[in-house]
Amino acid sequence: MILTQIAFYLFATVLVLSAAMVVSARNPVHAVLFLILGFFNAAGLFLIAGAEFLAMILVIVYVGAVAVLFLFVVMMLDVNFTQLREGVQRYAPVGAAIGVVLLAELVFTVARWQVVPHPAPIAAGNGLPPGITNTEALGRLIYTDYVFLFQACGLVLMVAMIGAIVLTLRERPSAKRQDVSKQHARMPADTMEMMSLSLGAGTTGNHALAAGRDGFLRPHDGYGAVADEGGPGVRAPEDHEADHHHGA
Amino acid sequence: MITVASLFSVAVFAPLLGALVTGLLGRVIGDPISRIVSVGLMVVSAGCAVAALWFGLAASAQAVAVPVSTWVQAGGFHAAWTLRFDTLSASMVTMVSCVSMLIHLYSVGYMSHEKNPVHRFFAYLSLFTFAMLMLVTSDNLIQLFFGWEGVGLASYLLIGYWYDRPSAVAAAIKAFIVNRIADLFFMVGIALLFLLFGTVSYDNIFATVPEHVGASYRLFGTSFPAFEVIGVLLFIGAMGKSAQLFFHTWLPDAMEGPTPVSALIHAATMVTAGVFLLARMSPLMEFAPVAKGLVVVIGASTCFFAATVGLVQPDIKRTIAYSTCSQLGYMFVAAGFGFYQGAMFHLTTHAFFKALLFLSAGSVIHALHDEQDMFRMGGLARKLPVTCAVMWIGSLALGAIPPFAGWWSKDAIIDGAWMAGGGLGGFAWTLCTAVAFLTALYSWRLLFLVFHGRPRVPELHDHAHESGPVILLPLLVLAVGAAFGGWLLRPWYIGEHQAAFWNGSIFNAPDNHVLATLEHTQGLIALVPTILSFLGVAVAFVCYMLKPEIPAQLARSMRPLYLFLLNKWYFDELYDRLFVRPYRALARLLWHVGDETVIDGVPRGLARLTVGGSSGIVRIQTGSIAVYAFTMLIGLVVLLSTFLLVR
Amino acid sequence: MNWTLALPEIVLSCSGLFILLFGVLQKRSEPSFACTMLTLVAFLVTGILVVVAPDGAGYHGQFVNDGFSRFMKILSLGAAGLAAILSLDYNRQEKTARFEFPVLLLFSTLGTLVMASSANLMTLYVGLELQSLAIYILCAFARDELTSAEAGLKYFVLGSLASGLLLYGISLVYGFAGTMEYAGLRQVLTGGAPLAAGLVIGLVFVIVGLAFKLSMAPFHMWTPDVYQGSPTSVTAFLAGAPKAAAFALLLRVLAQPFGHLAGQWQLLIEIVAIATMFLGSLAAIGQRDIKRLMAYSSIGHMGYAAMGIASATDAGIRGTLVYLATYLIMNAGTFGCILAMRRRGRALTRIEDLAGLGRTDPTLAVLMAVFMFSMAGVPPLAGFFGKLMVFAAAVQAGLWVLAAVGVVTSVIGLFYYWRIVKVMFLDAPVAGAFDHRAPSLSFVSAVTGVATVLFLLVLGPVTGAAQAAAAALFG
Repeated sequence: MILTQIAFYLFATVLVLSAAMVVSARNPVHAVLFLILGFFNAAGLFLIAGAEFLAMILVIVYVGAVAVLFLFVVMMLDVNFTQLREGVQRYAPVGAAIGVVLLAELVFTVARWQVVPHPAPIAAGNGLPPGITNTEALGRLIYTDYVFLFQACGLVLMVAMIGAIVLTLRERPSAKRQDVSKQHARMPADTMEMMSLSLGAGTTGNHALAAGRDGFLRPHDGYGAVADEGGPGVRAPEDHEADHHHGA
Repeated sequence: MITVASLFSVAVFAPLLGALVTGLLGRVIGDPISRIVSVGLMVVSAGCAVAALWFGLAASAQAVAVPVSTWVQAGGFHAAWTLRFDTLSASMVTMVSCVSMLIHLYSVGYMSHEKNPVHRFFAYLSLFTFAMLMLVTSDNLIQLFFGWEGVGLASYLLIGYWYDRPSAVAAAIKAFIVNRIADLFFMVGIALLFLLFGTVSYDNIFATVPEHVGASYRLFGTSFPAFEVIGVLLFIGAMGKSAQLFFHTWLPDAMEGPTPVSALIHAATMVTAGVFLLARMSPLMEFAPVAKGLVVVIGASTCFFAATVGLVQPDIKRTIAYSTCSQLGYMFVAAGFGFYQGAMFHLTTHAFFKALLFLSAGSVIHALHDEQDMFRMGGLARKLPVTCAVMWIGSLALGAIPPFAGWWSKDAIIDGAWMAGGGLGGFAWTLCTAVAFLTALYSWRLLFLVFHGRPRVPELHDHAHESGPVILLPLLVLAVGAAFGGWLLRPWYIGEHQAAFWNGSIFNAPDNHVLATLEHTQGLIALVPTILSFLGVAVAFVCYMLKPEIPAQLARSMRPLYLFLLNKWYFDELYDRLFVRPYRALARLLWHVGDETVIDGVPRGLARLTVGGSSGIVRIQTGSIAVYAFTMLIGLVVLLSTFLLVR
Repeated sequence: MNWTLALPEIVLSCSGLFILLFGVLQKRSEPSFACTMLTLVAFLVTGILVVVAPDGAGYHGQFVNDGFSRFMKILSLGAAGLAAILSLDYNRQEKTARFEFPVLLLFSTLGTLVMASSANLMTLYVGLELQSLAIYILCAFARDELTSAEAGLKYFVLGSLASGLLLYGISLVYGFAGTMEYAGLRQVLTGGAPLAAGLVIGLVFVIVGLAFKLSMAPFHMWTPDVYQGSPTSVTAFLAGAPKAAAFALLLRVLAQPFGHLAGQWQLLIEIVAIATMFLGSLAAIGQRDIKRLMAYSSIGHMGYAAMGIASATDAGIRGTLVYLATYLIMNAGTFGCILAMRRRGRALTRIEDLAGLGRTDPTLAVLMAVFMFSMAGVPPLAGFFGKLMVFAAAVQAGLWVLAAVGVVTSVIGLFYYWRIVKVMFLDAPVAGAFDHRAPSLSFVSAVTGVATVLFLLVLGPVTGAAQAAAAALFG
């Protein structure tokens, strides 16, 4: 048990310290790294508490995905952190004052709180047989009792996904895509015409004068038009305009 | 009685119909039809009134109430629209509608030269008549007050009929305001009556009068008998309408209206309302001896005051206006001695000859193209023979030359004053007798200046012409009344048939013997007023025909007195100093300090505060997320702290 | 377990997924119009299902169906439907007509339905997030407009902060009470045990989190910026259904689990309501942009509606519900008019653009005037009755200060509503007439305009339904 105690205090201390470092580190990359450290320690605490599923989820999801994403964002975005920091310094006194008052109030009230000496197990009412793993217990709870909330959460994620797509996806009409069926259905006569030229006239000259004579093949609308013929993926004409105007 | 009631109702409401039709539809139906409708309905009204009086007298019934509808029904307060038919109201209705009908007819001719459509004028005239009829036929004090105020409103509209003349507008406002001030006392009187009797209906009040004789009010440690207080308050109301001393200032100014209006106001309606009120309230007034004494004093003073002022006025209409004031004084003297029958008698005869005088003056003014200064007239007898003749008749009646109408009524009043005796009787008799002389003097001054002697302004004289038949016809009718009215009506009003005639509609206290003793006036005393009247005519003849320089010399030698009279005893100036200026100063103070600073200041300050708060709040809205977040957090902390502190 | 309890939600989410699929697979033409129409059909079907769904609690104490939830769901669906119709032509004209718009609108509405039926703090949170997340995206929907992106981001960041506060409050409540179910919380609180301080602090945090969604002062700061920056069709939605849903949450949380603590939270709601009413009416005075003005106007309305909660009585909650119903009608109509403000293809939002509308387009001007007067609470228009009820409830509950502030701010409010009417009818036109009004806008404005004017006719049924809903909440 003493080992558990030591581990608890170790994890807890490192967690608090790294959390403090996350908000105080000058270098944002360092901050994210401290965040990852904090996650690991929190996972350790979960393990001690016997919630091995939560611990693993924390490591896999938060460290493996979220924190790494943060790191990417921090490294790739051109954010002027010194400027941000100035803002922080400007609001620091007010923020500190509010924080202190809030903390004082919370402590003032929570300090009177006493831990029940012998707490009844919270999950006792679920009627799970003993010896079941908490992964399985969680699973049963989530997929049976809390299925409504689970589905609702699914919808929240769904909305988030739609949002990400709506706000960021842009279809670029300049991108060349191949549409096989369209390519196959194309006949030479659809696009090409026979041009004849009188001696010394340019290709942009009057067609009618030269009609019917021998000459050469060229697209209906002249050479310049070929590049503009968009693929079938183009959805609406207004997107052209928007993207020409605002495009990356 | 059904016929009488319906005839009576038609007499009262026909003028209302005329007013509504001409007033609301005048534009549609046009001027000629408006005139016909208005005059026609007045003829109907007058005819019905005469018929109602006739049948009513024949039936010799007690007072009849003709219910029209309920008006106010609030708790213990009831007021109904009811027409009260008794001799008092019926005789008033007859007099008012007949005179008004003649004036309507006269107006058709008089107003024919107006540039603007005159249907509005006829609507006002009819409305005025209706209001007066409502007043005299009222069955309770509230309905009386309705008519009272209706008369005030209509007089305002009529005096200010030529609204493009500033003087007419000012006169209209003056008449209205002076009347309102008196009405305030009148209203208080009505309210006190209601408090005392718990009802506003005449019958109920009069029935319980003896029970309340001892009632009194305590104010400032002194006890006032309730009836005296009420009597004085009602009399003050009457003073306003009847232009008695202190409230008389509006009457001469009211001459700014068209002349038919002056005739209507002075002869038949409005000014007689006060006398009628006292006669109507006789069962109450008889128990208020002090109030009656006050009535005598005011009446006699007014009588004398107005006659003196009338002596020097150059304006033909103003002269007659002051004579009205003076004659009303006679009526109040009579009423004050409990001689209501005499007051009503004089009221009726006065209606005839005063309407006659005003309409004749209108005819003169009409003939001279709106010239009203008597010193620019003269020698018009040949140009306007009919007008001259009827004006002579009117003046003979006014000047109380026997056997014309005025002589019968005025002599009765003067005799009554003598027979009442005592200090008050002596005072009233002296003044009234003196006024008999003055009346004759200024009446013949007017006649001589206007119709006789040499023309003073030849060009005016040359263009003068006699008025048309529409104007002359009413004059002739009224002249008949002025000549024979007194002789015909005397037996009914104050003579042997009076008890049967009035039939209890006028109340005389048991100890009131004025009527009985009237015949016992000593012969010489009874002759004095008549002699003085003849003397007045003679003096006028000397001063204005034989030696015209005498008045001018007198005016020069007694200049202060002359100016004093010319300026109407400086009443207008006095009121200006006493009331108008302090009131204006107070109004100015309330305007600048009370209104602009305080009342406007509060909302302005609030508005400034609001706008300031608005800009302050908007300033916080910087767009910075950090500020927003901090605001939220501060809000949270504040809420939490409040919660923890208050909990 | 009776899963049919949540049939409306299930049907709505399935239709949402179907419409999404339909939109993605529809390659040839732009499916925005079709998707919006399908969404409207889905709303209609869901509405019918809501009406017929049985009463009861289910899903392991996470979900409840009662008169209250039914009332709020109908309000939400109605408001969302009107907003969807309003977006039809506007989005096309603004070239933001994409099929994701109705889909997101649908999911946001689904969130409001879940909120209305919450019987558990977790359901509350998930529903709130579902609704909010969809709105964050909608706010930034015109992604090429800087203001739209800014609005979305601002709302998202501040909304996350509010969500954090809410979650923290929920965790405090859970920690001190040991349960998140409303019924369980009610038992704990009525058990007679001394009240844990942490529990009430948690309650304050929860109130703050919800007050943010209701844009009640001082948690309103996002409102003007987001209202102004978002596409107007989104603003029309944002000002409607989500407010009703957030009120549903607040009412349910305060009345059901914390009903016995009324004495504790009454004061807080009162303070917040007073601040909100003052802020809404004062700040609106200086505005030049009509969308911003509407933001402050809606802030003010939330304050009035909160008066009913502060009185903590049946009548008060009934007043709040009627107020919300009238507010949603007026709001949709007003935005219908605002969306019609177009000249030469450009959308306008400045108040002076309305100058002389009474001459150039009297129909629109009269409609707008009706909505403005109704919002100001002029009888006999719809807005008057809601105000009357909440004021009466506040007075009955003895909250004189609150009622007085309500009256004062109503007077101030009348000023800025009247200013719009004045600009429309008394000012001279500066530019030509507006473009021809799209049929969808005419439809919504006319329908809501008639409803606003003739609300008196349906006052009885609406009040009856609100009364039933309030009774369900307390019973």
